[in-house]
Amino acid sequence: MAGYHQNLDQQQAPAFFARGPSPLARLAFFSALSLTLMATDSRLQYLGTAREHLMVVLQPLQFIANAPSMLYDSTNEYFSTHHRLLNENQYLRKQALVQAISLQKMKTLTLENTNLRQLLAANQSLEEYSQLGEILHVGRDPFTKKIVVNRGSNHQVVDGAAVVDAKGIIGQVTRTYPASSEVTLITDKSLTIPIQIERNGLRAIAFGHGRDNTLDLPFLPANVDIKPGDKLVTSGIDGVYPKGLAVATVTDIQTSADSPFARIVCVPTGGIENHKQVLIVSISQPDSVANTSAASQRANNNDIAAKTTKPEASQALAGAAKTPTNKVPANAPVTNTPTAPAVQAAATSAPATSAEATQHKQPVVATEPSTSHKPHAQD
Amino acid sequence: MHKTKLQTIYLSLLVAFVCVLLPWSGSALKLRPDFVLLVIIFWILRAPNKCNIGTAWFIGLWVDLATGGVFGQYALAYTITTFVAVIYQRRLVLFSNTQQLVYVLLLLLISQVTLLTVKIFSGNDVLGWTYFLPSLTGVILWQAAVALGLNTSRPSRK
Repeated sequence: MAGYHQNLDQQQAPAFFARGPSPLARLAFFSALSLTLMATDSRLQYLGTAREHLMVVLQPLQFIANAPSMLYDSTNEYFSTHHRLLNENQYLRKQALVQAISLQKMKTLTLENTNLRQLLAANQSLEEYSQLGEILHVGRDPFTKKIVVNRGSNHQVVDGAAVVDAKGIIGQVTRTYPASSEVTLITDKSLTIPIQIERNGLRAIAFGHGRDNTLDLPFLPANVDIKPGDKLVTSGIDGVYPKGLAVATVTDIQTSADSPFARIVCVPTGGIENHKQVLIVSISQPDSVANTSAASQRANNNDIAAKTTKPEASQALAGAAKTPTNKVPANAPVTNTPTAPAVQAAATSAPATSAEATQHKQPVVATEPSTSHKPHAQD
Repeated sequence: MHKTKLQTIYLSLLVAFVCVLLPWSGSALKLRPDFVLLVIIFWILRAPNKCNIGTAWFIGLWVDLATGGVFGQYALAYTITTFVAVIYQRRLVLFSNTQQLVYVLLLLLISQVTLLTVKIFSGNDVLGWTYFLPSLTGVILWQAAVALGLNTSRPSRK
């Protein structure tokens, strides 16, 4: 009995006094703290750098966690059979041959293209800059579709770079850390991608569905010209994704009487959850990415317009194409000469604006002699 | 009386955290139990004066960092869960093994529901019933640990 009491004292006394604030007080305090953190992180941008620094601390732990699977992969590779390696070698040789042929065609085509573009005094299409990354792990949040790759800001990966595999686009870099970066997959609900139907050139925007690895094409009318089996490729008008990369294939179209829009389901072409290696493609070098947004504001300047991405350039030049028609009657002899090249460039930059631009161009050229003579005659 | 060292608690939490960091994918990711929360619940039952709501909040922040979501989601979920755990901790002495399992399942579900609520508020989709599978696998893991000889009651109360 005495022993029991002693035991009770030993356990009860510390339990009562070592507890500090009551659980309710702690709950209130830490809940408030978490809510504040959530609000700060989602609405304000203060915690980005803190996250990056903490991620560096996490790096060794991450390495330890990845070690077993990496060890397994490497031993597996080491003990891979002779037969399998031979098969793979043969397949790769064949593929290399096929690709070498198309690459040769590509070289002549690129040359021809640059020559034609020079002849037309058009903007050079943008250089792409790519590097190979390896998937470290799949995102741990069940609500989002993300992967983490082993290339980060140390390797000049920038936010917004496109991520592709051998078959097509798989996502976009949304957060960069020093040695890794987070890629949001195109099936994520928050990611949209401007696409074009390969068959008829119809432009639309594809939204990730979020749940079952599909994409949606919302807000298209029920009678839209899309069939199951149509291929979606990137349209390249966003300045993020290079033009013409495969994105998805249309699998199902549903129209219902109560909705003016069709429900279009597409399955991504790229192996969203299959591969280990991915290619990170920045459409331009990291330092010129920042220029594009500023450039659109000073659109009339020809030097800067040449650097911008296509949609901005065409907007800028469409704007430039309008100015001469207004200015011609007022002060024709002075302003006509510098704006004429801009109109020419506008005519060649985008097919949509070219017709409009040439319409503007005709009267400018035609009126030039007459209007330039009149002021002289008056003088 | 056996005393739990603080290092043991933190070491076990670290191990659980590394388990979270393992490269899970596919269906394994859907079934992955919340290792960190299980370890926290274990220590709250066993050494409530060493591991409490503050510890849970702190480790929740690290889980937030690892998942790459908004800071504070897991921290909030763990805070609320551990609060319930602490409130009922003293009654647990009277619980049988089955009752304890139900209790742990409820705690894991509370954490998941809190997380779901936060996520829905920030504009995420409602996931299917498979979202709650980690709670089930968590309980199975708990039972496996008990079967392997892990003592989940407070050592001094024996």
